[in-house]
Amino acid sequence: MVDPRIYEMFRDIGRDLFTSNMISSHGGNLSIRLGDRVVIKRRGAMLGQLKPHDLIETRLDRNDSGVALASTELLVHRTVYLNTPALAICHCHPRTAIAFSLSRDELVPIDNEASYLLKKIPVVTEEFASGTLQMANKVAEALRNYKIIMLRGHGSFATGQTLDEAFHWSSTLEESCQIELAAKLINEPFIEYRGMSGSYSKF
Amino acid sequence: MAGWSGNVLDIDLNSQTFTTYPLDREMARQFIGGRGLGARLLWDMVGPEVDPLSPANVLIFTNGPLTATGYQTSNRFSVTTKSPLTGTVLDANSGGFWGMQFKKAGYDVMIVRGRAEKPIWIEIKNDEITFHDASELWGLRVFALTEKLGQNNNRRNVLCIGPAGENLSRLASIMNDRERALARGGPGAVMGSKNLKAIVVEGKDRPKIEDPERFKFLLYETRKLLAASPLTSQALPEFGTVVLMNIMNNIGALATRNHQQTQFEGAEAISGEELTEKYLVRNASCWACPIGCTRISKTGKVEGEGPEFETTWALGAQCGIDDLPAIIEANALCNDLGMDTISVGSTIACAMELSEKGYLDSDLRFGRADQLASVIEAMAYRKDIGADLADGSLRLATKYGHPELSMTAKGMEMPAYDPRGLQGQGLLYATSNRGGCHMRGNMIGLEVLGLPKLIDRFQVQGKSSFVILNQNSSAAIDSLVICKFTNMGVADEYFARVLSAVTGIQYATGEMIKVGERVWNLERLYNNREGFTSKDDTLPPRLLTEAPGDGPSQGWVSHLEPMLKEYYRTRGWDQNGVPTKQKLTELGLVNLLN
Repeated sequence: MVDPRIYEMFRDIGRDLFTSNMISSHGGNLSIRLGDRVVIKRRGAMLGQLKPHDLIETRLDRNDSGVALASTELLVHRTVYLNTPALAICHCHPRTAIAFSLSRDELVPIDNEASYLLKKIPVVTEEFASGTLQMANKVAEALRNYKIIMLRGHGSFATGQTLDEAFHWSSTLEESCQIELAAKLINEPFIEYRGMSGSYSKF
Repeated sequence: MAGWSGNVLDIDLNSQTFTTYPLDREMARQFIGGRGLGARLLWDMVGPEVDPLSPANVLIFTNGPLTATGYQTSNRFSVTTKSPLTGTVLDANSGGFWGMQFKKAGYDVMIVRGRAEKPIWIEIKNDEITFHDASELWGLRVFALTEKLGQNNNRRNVLCIGPAGENLSRLASIMNDRERALARGGPGAVMGSKNLKAIVVEGKDRPKIEDPERFKFLLYETRKLLAASPLTSQALPEFGTVVLMNIMNNIGALATRNHQQTQFEGAEAISGEELTEKYLVRNASCWACPIGCTRISKTGKVEGEGPEFETTWALGAQCGIDDLPAIIEANALCNDLGMDTISVGSTIACAMELSEKGYLDSDLRFGRADQLASVIEAMAYRKDIGADLADGSLRLATKYGHPELSMTAKGMEMPAYDPRGLQGQGLLYATSNRGGCHMRGNMIGLEVLGLPKLIDRFQVQGKSSFVILNQNSSAAIDSLVICKFTNMGVADEYFARVLSAVTGIQYATGEMIKVGERVWNLERLYNNREGFTSKDDTLPPRLLTEAPGDGPSQGWVSHLEPMLKEYYRTRGWDQNGVPTKQKLTELGLVNLLN
């Protein structure tokens, strides 16, 4: 049985992901690492309306009966945990960021907040962009060096010590992309206000 | 070798000779420097048969690849030895200027072996090493000695012991730059046992940086982040570490009167706000530090650095004392005598409780600020009751039949944060490789300050993952070596990139943390070899059974047992707390067992 304090964390972040338009009704997923276990959203559960029984605890290193109930993205979560120091993962579908990922190999923020926090978000491509080992390996590899990455056309994967932190990177990314979209609509020359921003793409 | 100097200085005090040889590059890549490199070298040099105060023990001074590069807080260095207080592996690290100067002298490591026949001091000017007679300096206190040996912050730096180290107090620190301390675990006693009074360094070589352009960018970004964090740009500069006094008291996690309570009614009187308003003269900084948490404070009797939060707590709340000038003066006295203020304060608190309960025949009482100075003097010189207190609270309380009143883990006095109100912190103390210590992966960031995000301080399930990650991260940072306060504004990912830019070896964030895990497991192996077992991963009975009767932590004890089981499993250790062969293979340590 998962500690009620942990359930409340999933419930609150899941609700916020939905209400902030970062996922569709059944999209996205969240997980945390508890030592050699993973707690992840149940397959088909709605993040915006999580109940205690929607959290599945399963092994990190191999399958057990929990795999029959867990999110289809369990594989990528496990692979990320095994290859990075992450203790929490937030996967969501930030719409503007997905739109930018269709034409760019990296997203370099122009707004202040994301410039401070993210510097650069790599975009990785995988034809089978959901639930496959190839996808899991590519995402995990990218997350070894960056705390948030985009899977082209699919969505973002963010890591942190807590769900709160991983959600922070996710919402910062989407906000940054919305600002850039707005700036494009305004269509006036960009006035650089940051120092050494030319180095962001090398971060 | 960019970042590293590439040189080891190996000193034999028996013969007063030295050799130099190249640093093992593969070892440096695997353990980086500082604490990690020290632990790896100690493993080979000091086995379980060695008494910590015998000539066979060694002092291993190390810096790291970031030291003296100019990266923010790249001033720190470590000493590694077998602790005379705990019998465990010990590393202590310190800021100031000496570490930067030591690196500029051209060395990553200095090993000090043996014992000089008579007191000596050593002078290092790059490859010119001189042994001087210290007979006339023996007995001098730290401040006078530091001045006499020509301390000059940017050119010539003094590291030394005071009377406590000479008298082999197991609470003796090694002091540098007058008021900086390699404090915990008694390294000053090891230096005293070697008849080594001081090491003075002058250096002239800045380390090479492999990718200066990337380094410059990261330096710039770090400056921005430190300025953006209210902790590193406001709280620490304005109030110093004592900013934590009211915060910890308000949440009911400020250990008080030898951990008999978790809130202190006099906290406000010894708070950072009070210190700043009434006693602060100015701020000061270690070399290359933009944070400037150091306080220069003044009373009618003394003016000097400090006191830090832990000191103010140990000599204050832990002893039931709310007299801030007396605490400032006691702090200065500890520095001048060369003593660890945390262990000194908590040992006095233990003696106060023993006395109040009639187990110890002394007039020591909680709240008696007037007793502080005399008992500290007595401890440093092993006089009167000080002889019983000089070796820490566990030996004291055991002698008088009540070891349960020693607030220690593995024999080291715990700091201010009461584990009953901070479940993760309790697990951290119990599993710390050098004993009850908050600098081995502090959970205050997560459980109190919200760094990087706030977690529930009473949560038990899953706490081990946070503790382990922070222990590993902490071991990595201690191996770079930089100040952990930088981590309050800057995430580990920056440190990995700086390490890569300086050395030219690409460390992903996870790889840098993995170095920390390697160091942690090696330290654990060392302690296991010394005879420590899972039975030693515990806390004083008071914290496991006596819940506070009031305050925000009312009704809580430390739920150590379930956290510890989860911890061992998560660490990849067996149920007895021994790293498995699989884990050691993964970390490249399995060969050490052969």
